[in-house]
Amino acid sequence: MTTMDRAYMYVSRIVALLLAVFFLIPIVWMLLLSFTPEGQPILGGGFHFSFANYAKVLSQAPIFGWMGNSLIVSVITTAMVLLLSSMAAYAFSRIRFPGSKVLFLLFLSAMMIPAEATLIPLYLFMRDIGLLGTRTSLILPAVAGPMGIFIMKQFFDGLPKDLEEAARIDGAGFFKIWYRIFLPLSRPALAALGIFTFIGAWNDYVWPLISISDKAFMTITLGLPMFQSSYVQQYALPMTANALAAIPVLLIFLLFQKQIIKGIAFTGGKEM
Amino acid sequence: MAVKSIAHKKSMAMGSRGLARQGWVTGIMMVLPYTLFFLLFSLFPILYGLRVSFYDWSLLGDKEFIGFLNYTTLLQDEEFRDNLLHTVLFTIVSVPLICGVGLLLAVLIHGIRRGQAFFRAAVFMPYVLSVSVISSIWVIFLQPYSGLFNQILRTLGIINSEIFWLSEPMLAWASIIMSTIWWTVGFVFVLFLAGLQDIPTSFYEAGQIEGANRWQTFWHITFPSLSRITILVVVLQTIASFKIFGQSKLITGGGPAGATKTVVFSIYENGFQTFQMGYASAIAFVLMIVILVISVLQTLILRKFES
Repeated sequence: MTTMDRAYMYVSRIVALLLAVFFLIPIVWMLLLSFTPEGQPILGGGFHFSFANYAKVLSQAPIFGWMGNSLIVSVITTAMVLLLSSMAAYAFSRIRFPGSKVLFLLFLSAMMIPAEATLIPLYLFMRDIGLLGTRTSLILPAVAGPMGIFIMKQFFDGLPKDLEEAARIDGAGFFKIWYRIFLPLSRPALAALGIFTFIGAWNDYVWPLISISDKAFMTITLGLPMFQSSYVQQYALPMTANALAAIPVLLIFLLFQKQIIKGIAFTGGKEM
Repeated sequence: MAVKSIAHKKSMAMGSRGLARQGWVTGIMMVLPYTLFFLLFSLFPILYGLRVSFYDWSLLGDKEFIGFLNYTTLLQDEEFRDNLLHTVLFTIVSVPLICGVGLLLAVLIHGIRRGQAFFRAAVFMPYVLSVSVISSIWVIFLQPYSGLFNQILRTLGIINSEIFWLSEPMLAWASIIMSTIWWTVGFVFVLFLAGLQDIPTSFYEAGQIEGANRWQTFWHITFPSLSRITILVVVLQTIASFKIFGQSKLITGGGPAGATKTVVFSIYENGFQTFQMGYASAIAFVLMIVILVISVLQTLILRKFES
């Protein structure tokens, strides 16, 4: 290694470290503030660890209720997306049926439609069918997104063709092949799609903002700003609420880091 | 046993045609559940929205067909023009920044063998948070007196009096852009990192034989090898930037004096604060067309690249 190489190595490592610190500061600071009672200094004043903020936030706002709503919506959305898109993707990948190409092309082009463009008609439609403001109204449009079909079809297309031959000879139908052979084999793809769908549903903001007005049905992304708008010049409680909302997804991230990062690379950066 | 053999004979008699028919029925059955969701909650809303955009459609009052009037009104609506301009400027500034920072981070961290997982996690982590959480973190982070950001800048000697980040248009935009970079750059970074890992080492060896220096290597080997991903990333970021709403709603509230309102902000205000559904739908359609054009351009450019 030349001196130049070594110098580059050290400099790049220091720069990377500084940048990593910069990325972590807001999150670390959020956690520090949430454990420090309001008005007490964090920097230079001796840090007093306390759960008082958490108790206060939980007694002042239905944070757990909001998180419960988020959880119900995210889990059902994820389960439905996994089931319906892997089933349809299998048919598109392995079965020839009339109209399959046209239908797939239709789904493909729908990926270009931004959710923001359908807010108004979705609002009117949900109101007409009496679902506006319910948790169901948050689930249905999320399940209709075509992203899952592409991720799953891409994965199925990559599985060897003779995989299902033996099962076919034994008389297994396509449906059986899908859930007996393809689903177990596609666990990594299902995991990636599931995690993205869950995080996406958990973090959704615009559509819940428009659909939900009843405090009891709010998700955490929606309830959070509501709760915080009543605090001016106070930071410990809003930050604690942030931490409560962030901790579940941060934990999911830390647990499934590899799948998440691989999943993004795998889908070639198709929008999440 | 007997049943099985009969079934077997039957299927033999039906031959491949019978199997094929069974196949396409199953195929349609398997696609049907998703298709129903798609028709009801994706396709129908688009067509419904198009219809609404040709009406004077208030939430409670009458609906009156007015042709293209919503669209022509749009051209003269100064607030919409401002919001469109804000969105375009935000896109022009933020897309190169996010892509550039993402590439820089990817190149830096790709070169690190030990501890790469830590750096990757640190950069990507904010991406999994919701816009509500990141906005609130940054609002508190940017507080003029008690906020950590000004304190850091002061400690480093970069400023000597408080900066009021959210009360001046340019600074408010700077705040939104900073927080957006922090929030979303991880996604771009991961894509570039994956691209870097896919470049065969033989490319670099060839460069070494020719005596290329680090900068030449980057410019002649690394960057061209990433061209496909670069196009993809730029297009995805452009689309995402055009849809910006949450940050300006939650960090600045669209202020100061409407300076940080965007196109989606226009949809939100016209649709859900003044309840002009027709007019808001027209704005939504303009946004959709802009995004469709960007997507189609992406497809064309990528296809040209691949052939």
